[in-house]
Amino acid sequence: MMNHFIALLANEDPTQTHSWILPEQAEIIYGGLASVIVIGALVKFAGPAIKKSFNARTAKIQKELDDAAGAKVTADSDAKNIRAALGDVAGERARMLAEADTQAAAVLNEGRVRITAEVAELEAKAEADLSSARGRSSDELRAEISLLASIATPVVVQATLNDQTKNELIESFISSVGAGR
Amino acid sequence: MSTVKIEAYATALFEIAQADGTLALVEDELFRVARAFESNEQLRNTLSDSTIPADRRQQVAEQLLGSKASNTTTQLVSLVVGSGQVRDLPAIVDSLVKRASSEKQQEVAEVRSAVALSDDQKTRLAAALTKVTGKPVNLKVVIDPSVLGGLVAVVGDEVIDDTVRTRLDQLKTRI
Repeated sequence: MMNHFIALLANEDPTQTHSWILPEQAEIIYGGLASVIVIGALVKFAGPAIKKSFNARTAKIQKELDDAAGAKVTADSDAKNIRAALGDVAGERARMLAEADTQAAAVLNEGRVRITAEVAELEAKAEADLSSARGRSSDELRAEISLLASIATPVVVQATLNDQTKNELIESFISSVGAGR
Repeated sequence: MSTVKIEAYATALFEIAQADGTLALVEDELFRVARAFESNEQLRNTLSDSTIPADRRQQVAEQLLGSKASNTTTQLVSLVVGSGQVRDLPAIVDSLVKRASSEKQQEVAEVRSAVALSDDQKTRLAAALTKVTGKPVNLKVVIDPSVLGGLVAVVGDEVIDDTVRTRLDQLKTRI
């Protein structure tokens, strides 16, 4: 058969064709057969490999898709966690701010109370000092008056005590004692 | 000096004055001498100064009392000065006066006044004090300018004070 084929090829004149577009009939037949054989061989021998390769690729793509989906889920979860964390942060921030406000209010209130108490204490102390100073001044004045009075009174009394007055005092004493006091 | 010694001196003086028959006068004069001795520091220091001979101190006492007191009184004071017991003269005299008053069933009434009392005032005062105390009193008047005015009478434990000095003191306390 091989020889027949070779003889056909040798009898062919490549420059002489019956159509400028279509090949010779035999060529079509043999070419078609050859093509069928090649394709069949390809299908028989290369098909499983190719199919396996496609399956593997499909599996790989599916796996990548699954991984992507998993990553997406993870990302969504992370995003959710982050959003939750952000929410917590906002809540914590609000709580801390509220606590800070409360503490600030307490400190302010405490400061006001303390300052009020200190002012009251200072006022009381000042009032006491003033009172004490007034008392001291009053006592000093009273002492001064007493001293002057104690010095002046005997002098004045002695000056006014003449013999007649002294005699009247004696008579008064005798009368008083005689009357049984 | 002990109380016994003072009493012994008082008894001696009392008996001398009584024997002399001038007890009332001597008692009165000695009382005034004692009060003067109490109030006059210079007299007190002079008559009790042991660096001055006793006879010299006796001379001083006699000169001071010579014209103001009876001879008996002067001699009795001189005796006490000479014995070196002059610092106790007021206590001796007080004991003597008390004894003399007791002999007469009287209570000693020591009255201090800024000025001298007339005899009439003394009589009326003695009567008034007798009425108050319920006992006859032997009035002894001491001239004490420090009372300023009025009188203060001490009869036994009772004190009747109506002097200007006390009123001034009370006024000073109130002030």
